[in-house]
Amino acid sequence: MLKKIAFVFALLAFFTRCLPAQDWIRTGTGLGVEKIRLAVPDFKVVTADPTTQKLTENFNVTLWNDLQVAGIFDMVSKSFYPLSQPGAPQEVKLGEWGSPPPNANMLAFGNVSVQGGSLNVQGWLYDTKNPKSPQVLGKQYREEANDANARIIAHRFADEIIFRLGGGVQGIAETRIYFVSNRSGSKEIWQMDYDGANQKQLTHLGTIALSPHVSPDGTRVAFSGVTREGWQLQMYSLELGRLVNFPRFGGDNYSPAWSSDGQNLAFSSSRSGNTEIYTVGSAGGNPRRLTDSKGPDVSPTWNPKTNAQIAWVSGRTGLPQIYTMASDGTNAARVTDQGYAVSPSWSPNGQFLAFAWVRHYGPGEPGSSDIYVMDVASKQWVQLTHDGGHNDFPSWSPDGRHIVFQSKRGGKTQIWSMLADGSELRQLTAGGENTQPNWSFK
Amino acid sequence: MTNVNVDIFPTEGNVRGPLLGSIALHAALFVLALFGYLIPSSRGESWGGTSGGGGAMSATLVSSIPLPTPPAETQNVLANESKGLAQSPPKETAKEEPQAIPIPERQAKKGQRESAQKKPPPKEVAKVEDNQIPFGQGGPVSGPYGAFTAGNVKGGLSFTGGSGDFGSRFGWYVDGVRRKVSENWLKYEVDPRIDTAHRVYIYFEISRSGQPTDLRVEQSSGIPSLDQSALRALQRIDTFGPLPPEYAGRYVAVEFWFDYKR
Repeated sequence: MLKKIAFVFALLAFFTRCLPAQDWIRTGTGLGVEKIRLAVPDFKVVTADPTTQKLTENFNVTLWNDLQVAGIFDMVSKSFYPLSQPGAPQEVKLGEWGSPPPNANMLAFGNVSVQGGSLNVQGWLYDTKNPKSPQVLGKQYREEANDANARIIAHRFADEIIFRLGGGVQGIAETRIYFVSNRSGSKEIWQMDYDGANQKQLTHLGTIALSPHVSPDGTRVAFSGVTREGWQLQMYSLELGRLVNFPRFGGDNYSPAWSSDGQNLAFSSSRSGNTEIYTVGSAGGNPRRLTDSKGPDVSPTWNPKTNAQIAWVSGRTGLPQIYTMASDGTNAARVTDQGYAVSPSWSPNGQFLAFAWVRHYGPGEPGSSDIYVMDVASKQWVQLTHDGGHNDFPSWSPDGRHIVFQSKRGGKTQIWSMLADGSELRQLTAGGENTQPNWSFK
Repeated sequence: MTNVNVDIFPTEGNVRGPLLGSIALHAALFVLALFGYLIPSSRGESWGGTSGGGGAMSATLVSSIPLPTPPAETQNVLANESKGLAQSPPKETAKEEPQAIPIPERQAKKGQRESAQKKPPPKEVAKVEDNQIPFGQGGPVSGPYGAFTAGNVKGGLSFTGGSGDFGSRFGWYVDGVRRKVSENWLKYEVDPRIDTAHRVYIYFEISRSGQPTDLRVEQSSGIPSLDQSALRALQRIDTFGPLPPEYAGRYVAVEFWFDYKR
């Protein structure tokens, strides 16, 4: 009995030693331990007709969802709210919101009206603990009255709040995710809003299209597709809604990745026989070879903060491992030390690499592929997904607080998003098999 | 030689009684002590307990306090002109010049006035307004936003820019700065051999666009790795977000302190 107790204590001591790793990973990703208590009562309906009612409901759901997903707020449950619902500053009783039960630090409120076919939204953000000058934000929006615009206005207001209270980091409510889906019969490139809404097919090639990567300005999507010349890099213009020309290279070419300045693309190519990492200009000119090893070199990703480094996957020592190098091919260094590590994605602040890792790989080692985040400087890592089937292809959100990835946890491979500490898991897709998500730069 | 037999133990035969009594008394005392220890007394205070008003170790999140509490420490111990929150005692009146001829009436009046003045105002000293924030330099501004604790490390800040009321007007911004710095301070960068250290003060300015500029160690902790970790926490930050549009100044100056204890 005593031995058992001693063992439990030893185990506890061991885990408490391990805990700080999670703590600083969390903090480095901008997800503080301490969150702002935010109360968001439903916006008040000013004009009493069914259209306004419906649009307001849509607006309220979207706003709440955006703020909850942001990762920096502790949303105060609506059951704690006072009975009076403020729609304008003169209707707010700060004392009721700033003290228990809501005990909110911040209060977002406003009203919605439809007049002459246009949707008007007024929104305010108040600091409940500062009765002298409570207003942090006051905004007014006017758009044509429809559901899409109600969502857009909610996204914009949520992003304003996140920008003000999240330390100047732009919100992600208006960002998009590009991915591969086979729901139309063949693997094509699709896009959706960050929360899984408005899913839309982009390419109609009828072959196989893989690894989409959107340009930093959001105008083009690079991907690799099967053509008569084998696997080639292809370019889809989001402005024109069709494929645009891009040079063909010899051999098979895969996994294009944009640098964050939009000047260069890195990709892997077998034009010289072995699969190596190359870079080209954004128009496909001036190809440069960066690696030269016997094993395959694939899946490059730029350090978006500096564009001076590239991380990639190399099989030069046997099983695939993550490596980093300068963008001219020098200073190659191995990052992972064991198992099977693939699909690196560099965080927007340049501090972390997210990747898929089977830490114990091989016969008799029933390891699963999970998403990990590693601090590039210190090589400390933390596991984000646990016991959830095969997880792969992580991609960072532009605010560095979220990661989107593919997971087979429900039987079929679908796209999921989570906060960069592994919490707030959400399934974004449902139909067919959906893979290889890529989060837009803005 | 006479044999003198002095009976120095006159009650030799009776010693058993008192001895038994003594043993019984001691036993009773022991039993009392034992029971006193085992049976919890309802009286007395439990140190560090949560039931008491203020525990020996109180860890309260500062942001949950609705309004500023008087700061425990001022930032610059050596030269601080701040009046602080506590009201200073009334100045003693200058001594009257000695009179050549004492006038009895005047003396009596003066004595009365002096004694009235020397009396400390009984309640005013302890009375601190709920929303009182010391004006000007000195005490850390905006109490609810002024400090953070993470594990057993602490940090805090004060804004010295503008007209001194930045912290009270834009508490949400100060709170954002505090949160962002605490998020970016990686404690593992401090030399693992260090258990405890003096406070390190970092000075920086936040430009209108929100970037930290003019970053420097104002007062070193004496431990280079701690100074470095504090500096790096701020170097990691690209922006705190633009200063509030309602704020007229070009920048705000911030003094941020870090306490380290393993």
